[in-house]
Amino acid sequence: MISLMSIFDFFIEQDFFRYAIYSAIILGVLAPVVGSVVVIRRLSFIANTLSHFSLAGVTMGVLIANVFQFELLNPTIWGVIFGVLGTFLIEKLRNFYKNYKELSMPIILSLGVALSSLFLSLSTGVDSKFINSLLFGSILAVGLTDFILILIITLLIIIFILTSYKKIVTLCFDETFAIVSGINVKFLQMLITITLAFVISFFLNLIGVLLISALMIVPISIGILIGKSYKNALIVSIVFSEISVILGFFLSYYFDLPTGATIILLCIFFLFSIMIFKKIRLIYLNRK
Amino acid sequence: MRVIVDKLSFAYDDKIVLNNLSFSLVSGDFLSVIGRNGTGKSTLAKCMLKLLKIPDKKIFLDDVDINKLKKLFNIGYVPQKSEFNYEFPISVKELLLCAYPKRKDAFFTQIINDLDLNVIYNDNINNLSGGQLQRVFIARALLCNPKMLVLDEPTVGVDQENIEAMYKILSKLKSEGITIILITHDPVFCKDLSTYTLILDDLGFFSFEKGCKTYD
Repeated sequence: MISLMSIFDFFIEQDFFRYAIYSAIILGVLAPVVGSVVVIRRLSFIANTLSHFSLAGVTMGVLIANVFQFELLNPTIWGVIFGVLGTFLIEKLRNFYKNYKELSMPIILSLGVALSSLFLSLSTGVDSKFINSLLFGSILAVGLTDFILILIITLLIIIFILTSYKKIVTLCFDETFAIVSGINVKFLQMLITITLAFVISFFLNLIGVLLISALMIVPISIGILIGKSYKNALIVSIVFSEISVILGFFLSYYFDLPTGATIILLCIFFLFSIMIFKKIRLIYLNRK
Repeated sequence: MRVIVDKLSFAYDDKIVLNNLSFSLVSGDFLSVIGRNGTGKSTLAKCMLKLLKIPDKKIFLDDVDINKLKKLFNIGYVPQKSEFNYEFPISVKELLLCAYPKRKDAFFTQIINDLDLNVIYNDNINNLSGGQLQRVFIARALLCNPKMLVLDEPTVGVDQENIEAMYKILSKLKSEGITIILITHDPVFCKDLSTYTLILDDLGFFSFEKGCKTYD
């Protein structure tokens, strides 16, 4: 126990680790909350699309810093700008197709990947470790500036969710009723998507492009299996998300594993375990 | 609520669904809207709820053009069962409290009691029967303190016992002066309650008649 505490103290004494773990604990709450709306509205793929489009923003920030030899804006901010831009592009493209509205997402995802690849190839001196951390996340990627930005955005998101909670839940479960009861559905939907873009972009460095959307989807998938109410499902998903994040962090540090991958693997392990447990329980109950 | 529909027409692309439809209702009227699939019953409901765009001066609620209303006050809507998102868990309590702009108060509790929802109050919506679910939807609509109630096929998937319970609820609401518009395949369901019947046909024609009628 003493040695465990001393390991913990050692981690907390390291500045980079402190910012990273605090950010991850915040993400452990935000991701399932925003993810629940995404899942209910059947927009799971949008999180994946926006993370790839945000990547284009981050890499553009790197390219600009590379070409002009100074940072016009923090690459994270470029990621946020692209994330929000991506939400509008998806919405615009959706209107072009009547029956294939979902086509807008793979198009924007491909655009994001193609632009990222282009910007990275034009930037000189970008090493494979940096690219690896963008794709799979790194605990070294969260500096003091990133952490302050994360705190500000978290505060804004909490205010938005607390003030619009009833409207968000009504919209999620019954859009027609939401319109009839006077909720400005288009505006609220836009705010939700922008919130999603913010969460994805700000935590991109920590978890990685390929896995950030998983942290929004997998814990809430556990919540759906266990929860008896919306609140209950949210609490369950936050608990599993936090266990995965904290455990994943220590494991990734201790065994030098990629942070995002470790966290998501733990999350998916919990999901599969619960699925199997439910299946076995059902068989047992049927026999009884 | 006084409702006037004046020469309302509506078409999807080239298909005319409603053609110069006109009728008027006053408080406490009960209108059954009947017709086969695709005759525009739900389209009419959507027009009345501002879910579809219509030209000015076609529908008036308490003598105000519906297009001039920024928000539909005092209108309750009970959706078709299939329109509801079922897979995610949500309890009856959460669904109703989220639809109610205020905190839980005496009015809220009264509606829960009137519709006999106390037993299922904490249950997951997914575990309810068709009849229980419709009672929850009616309660949600009543929380808007409606002067007009629009119900879209409320008897689909509901057993006879619960249909009769719903009949009693609607009868009480009618006697309280709420204008009720019922979209239904089953005109027999409310034959004693209907003050008017609107029969819609495939070609966009209609007939608006007193009392309860059926179609061939």
